Amino acid sequence: MKTYDCPPTLTDSQVLDVCKKGYHICEGVVPEEINRRTIEFVDNNPVIEPTEILDEDWFVEGVICQPEAAGAVRSLLGRNFVLPILMSNHRVHMPLAGQQWHRDGGSQYGPAQHYLQVFYYPETCTREMGPTELLPGSHHLFSLSRQMAHYGGIKSSVYAAVPAGSIIITVYSIWHRRSNSTASGIRNMLKYNYWRTVPPERDWIIEPDFDVVTADYTFPGPGTRQQFRDCIDAAEMFFWLCGKHDDFQSMGGQGWPMPANRNTKPLGFPGQLTGRRF
Amino acid sequence: MSVEKIKQQVERCIADLRAGQLAETGLQAIIAALDEQPAPRQDLLYLQASTTSVTGDVVGMLLVQDGEVSEGPADPAEWPYPTVLAAMQDGWRVIQFPDLALSLDESRTYGLGYEFILEKWR
Repeated sequence: MKTYDCPPTLTDSQVLDVCKKGYHICEGVVPEEINRRTIEFVDNNPVIEPTEILDEDWFVEGVICQPEAAGAVRSLLGRNFVLPILMSNHRVHMPLAGQQWHRDGGSQYGPAQHYLQVFYYPETCTREMGPTELLPGSHHLFSLSRQMAHYGGIKSSVYAAVPAGSIIITVYSIWHRRSNSTASGIRNMLKYNYWRTVPPERDWIIEPDFDVVTADYTFPGPGTRQQFRDCIDAAEMFFWLCGKHDDFQSMGGQGWPMPANRNTKPLGFPGQLTGRRF
Repeated sequence: MSVEKIKQQVERCIADLRAGQLAETGLQAIIAALDEQPAPRQDLLYLQASTTSVTGDVVGMLLVQDGEVSEGPADPAEWPYPTVLAAMQDGWRVIQFPDLALSLDESRTYGLGYEFILEKWR
């Protein structure tokens, strides 16, 4: 087991964005030479789990510890996170029909983030190449994969069509699938996890003008949940990542974290006079 | 023989009956035509809506039509039915309403929206 530390790269707003959407994209951050060597490696090792690539220093340095992506992981998992011990390659011979919607086995729901699932694209992945389709906000939406098999088009989904060398960091439980491809050839997508070793704390890049009380926790997710539920779940996850989960509360009514055009700060913020104390 | 032709054959038999000329062969022709009819096939339409109302916006869809599974157009703006009601107006029949047990607690909702399952027969 190897741990790693590096400077965090996400700001308060970006961490909150992950709490809302369930993912963060680092576009084209891996150098072309590393992408080329990665493709060469997996072409020579066309297996489902080419874990041996984690023994390659150039891969660990250029991909696993790539400063922008590893910095995002550092922001979300804290110091001295554990580096991946398993590598999967979703190697697709195109054209191919899309996968069923699913969340990966082992998903747990709730604000705690003890690990992250990461996708690395060594080649440019256009819409025609069947990029990963994500459902933003669905990391808060429970379902069993086997109960998603009859889902098809979903209105608020996004296609992660990205340039070569992109890394997508996801909350493990997010709904996703490989979309259908119409191109020909091979598409690789490497998948791996990082793990937390320290208690959560707000030690990412602090924005001086970021106010936890007035921050916007709204996210237009699948559009099927109760009003403000997305705000509450995103706020709770943010509190957990700040190491403040024991303080978290949602008063309900028109109180924090529901969005509104108020003439003052929202009421009901944890710890304030109007917070739930009795 | 199509349904229309079967109908025409029945009308001929009625005319023959009124004329006192109805023969067994005319009726046998109807039975034979019915036996030749292909077995009816069920089409299914899964629509996930934003509310339990048939007028709620459709947020997800899957179509099983003529034995083929389709997710509809890639662009949701081009989906055939913006609401369950629009599908009903196009002849789809609701065979399952949303399972409300999946959304009794707002902090623990299950699955995508409120699901209606509709059918057509061809």
